[in-house]
Amino acid sequence: MSENPTTETTRQDAGGRAIIEARNVVKRFGGATAVDDVSIEVAPGEIYGLVGENGAGKSTLMRVLAGILTPDHGSVVVDGRELEAGSTRAALEAGISLVHQELSLVPELTVAENIVLGTTPVQAGFIKKREMKKIASDALEEIRVQVDLDEPIVRLSVALRQFVEIARAIARKPRVLILDEPTATLTPAETDYLLDMLERLAGQGLAIIYISHRIPEIFRICNRVSVLRDGHLVDTVSISDIKPNEIVDKMVGRELKQELETSRTKVAAGDVVLQARGIKAPGVNGIDLDVRAGEIVGLGGLVGAGRTELVRAIVGADIKSAGTVTINTDGTMRRVNSYRSAISHGFAYVPEERRTDGLALTMTVSDNIALPNRSQLSRYSVLMRGKIGTFAKELADAVGLRPPEIQREAGDFSGGNQQKVVLAKWLGRKPDVIILDEPTRGVDVGAKVEIHRLVRDLAEGGTAVLVVSSDLPELLDLADVIHVVRDGRIAGTLSRDEADEKSVMSLASGESQVRGL
Amino acid sequence: MTNEAQSVAEAVVGEPAIEKQPFNLLVWMSSRGIFVFTTVLVVVAAIFIDGFASLDNITDVFNRAAPIGIVAVGMTFVVISANYLDLSVVAQVATAAVVLIAVSNESNIPAAMALAFVIALLYGLVNGVAVGVFKANAVIVTLSTTFIGLGILRWFSGGSIYFGPQDGAIRSFGLAKIGPFPLSMIVLILMTLILSFVLTRTNFGFLVRSYGSNRDATRLAGVNTAWVVIGAFTITSIAAMIGGFVLGAFSNTAVSSMSTGFDFRALAAIIVGGTSVFGGRGSVLRTLLGVVFVSVLTNIMVLSGLGFGVQQMAIGALIVAAVSIDSLARKASGT
Repeated sequence: MSENPTTETTRQDAGGRAIIEARNVVKRFGGATAVDDVSIEVAPGEIYGLVGENGAGKSTLMRVLAGILTPDHGSVVVDGRELEAGSTRAALEAGISLVHQELSLVPELTVAENIVLGTTPVQAGFIKKREMKKIASDALEEIRVQVDLDEPIVRLSVALRQFVEIARAIARKPRVLILDEPTATLTPAETDYLLDMLERLAGQGLAIIYISHRIPEIFRICNRVSVLRDGHLVDTVSISDIKPNEIVDKMVGRELKQELETSRTKVAAGDVVLQARGIKAPGVNGIDLDVRAGEIVGLGGLVGAGRTELVRAIVGADIKSAGTVTINTDGTMRRVNSYRSAISHGFAYVPEERRTDGLALTMTVSDNIALPNRSQLSRYSVLMRGKIGTFAKELADAVGLRPPEIQREAGDFSGGNQQKVVLAKWLGRKPDVIILDEPTRGVDVGAKVEIHRLVRDLAEGGTAVLVVSSDLPELLDLADVIHVVRDGRIAGTLSRDEADEKSVMSLASGESQVRGL
Repeated sequence: MTNEAQSVAEAVVGEPAIEKQPFNLLVWMSSRGIFVFTTVLVVVAAIFIDGFASLDNITDVFNRAAPIGIVAVGMTFVVISANYLDLSVVAQVATAAVVLIAVSNESNIPAAMALAFVIALLYGLVNGVAVGVFKANAVIVTLSTTFIGLGILRWFSGGSIYFGPQDGAIRSFGLAKIGPFPLSMIVLILMTLILSFVLTRTNFGFLVRSYGSNRDATRLAGVNTAWVVIGAFTITSIAAMIGGFVLGAFSNTAVSSMSTGFDFRALAAIIVGGTSVFGGRGSVLRTLLGVVFVSVLTNIMVLSGLGFGVQQMAIGALIVAAVSIDSLARKASGT
């Protein structure tokens, strides 16, 4: 149902004068296809929105455009000329600048040094300082941001860093500017400023590709929008031809949206199992927390608010500077004083970074599942292979691993199935407390539904669940109670009935304080 | 998981079948190559190289290969744990050989072996603690312990060469054969079988592989990772000790400089065998094949009258090729 945009658009359509095109781009990672036969084209002066759930393939597609990734199939075309695949240099020379989702500035270098990094003006091996500062100050002026050029990046706020990152892209005099979730860490006022800036830049003829989760932003600045789901291009439409809820339907897939919204039948929560008191750690400024048996407690807040730091301090994955954590099971109360004691007392921890912290990608699914369950799978320190096989198979089936091939390397599976493996390995321990950090990030919608069901099943079985999520619908759907974290403290606690997107976001961004709510 | 969730999921995303990876020569070379290359090399040598297929030559190849091979199968544990290599095997092999001959000249063989064993444990502990507990870089740590170890050895020995008695037990062990096979070859094969069992079948070997594949994930599974690293270095040290015994017994002499180049040659065998320097992937059996490959290649060069310089150059080039293939194959397979 991919209809061509009609002529009703306020600004120009790409038509035949696209400055940049992606043609039938396919990109695979191991066995998972992140981008599957996607074509888009963007015209000068156009702001082109790109939306989709986490893991839909937006960032991968943009990295292909910027020459960071080499596509397995398809090409990038600029001004009708095919770009050398996988060459960042070729992309830069063609005028493509990417503002990364994760900040890519060097913290120890100054603002000016960062802005010219990679294109530093040199003469006979020496940096031409005056010229460097001129380039930097011109770029900052272009985006109308004032910041001391000699300030090291570490001393800047997250928002200012984001603007320096944009200045760096602008300094390269791009003709195509790609921004990947630039407003994720910005306050509403800063976001306004950024959106105005982008409209101004587009007015000067710059082509802008804008990735965001925030639908209102897309409607405010974009001319056209493409929706990606599971690596496929679902649709490209003129913004005047679509309504916000229709975009969400396309992102999620209509059938699943209902599924995602089925709310949990409230379980009568039991005794407090996890008790954390006065937790302090870098980024965490004194937090108390209780989780009861059978209860799902959600931690909401903006990226960088200290949620990941908090749960890592609780479980002992990082050292905490103050506070106590106890686990109460079977009428005994035990102090948790190291990560290993936490695990042996019945904790399970599903970390935020699945690929680096959660799985050994070059080992089989079976081995990954066996890892935390070795004691019940070995005798006299010799592994019982047959038992490992049945054990892993049972758990892989329980989490719905697809394909159910436990002797394949974990790296061969898609993000969602990898996350199921991480869950499976902890399910094998029948944990009393499970801590999940962004459990469905980068996971396709189908797997998301299954993971949510697993989490609910765990809670119904009496496990105390603590879940961190930046995905608001997920948090609202799963949690019985939501603590919103801001600046390393709990800014507010919302019961299931009180919580909605607005109430969580206003606590998270500090808006409610300003308005005296 | 319930059936309806599954059916809903499948309706939308379809069966997420893992696509069959297209054939990639680099991936093939790093995973299967060694089996084919070794076979081809041996067959080619047997057909075209005069004197290769004689029993005397084969025995000679194994006698030379055994000490390095024994070190290499042990050091495979350090490489699989993603700690690059243990350079200090150079000092450890020489120390074990000197201790075996010098101490048994002074007192007796069991005392010599016991002392060598204690020294091996010390090496494993020092290297393992520095790398596993203090998270120091393995290359720099073991480069330093090589210096310390060789320094101590030269200090005690004054650089002198030790000779075993011509009719002693060490000498007869060094020359012993079981059937047509030299004892050193039997030791190499036994070590390979034992360490292969440890790596693939025991809890400890499993943790070495898991740690090498992803140390953070292994730590977050509740594993005491320091002991895994200490264990990997200790196994290497014990293998280096046995390699030193075999080397000392075969030549019936010992001197602090006798094991020069063992670090690199052992690494050559491991890498050529297809064990990844990135950790996690590899096996002890592969290392044995790597030993055979490198030894046969060296033997062919010797029989063809190529000098030591050419041999050295060829082994160096072989390693550069092998690590490059390892790296490219890893990138190609997407992990």
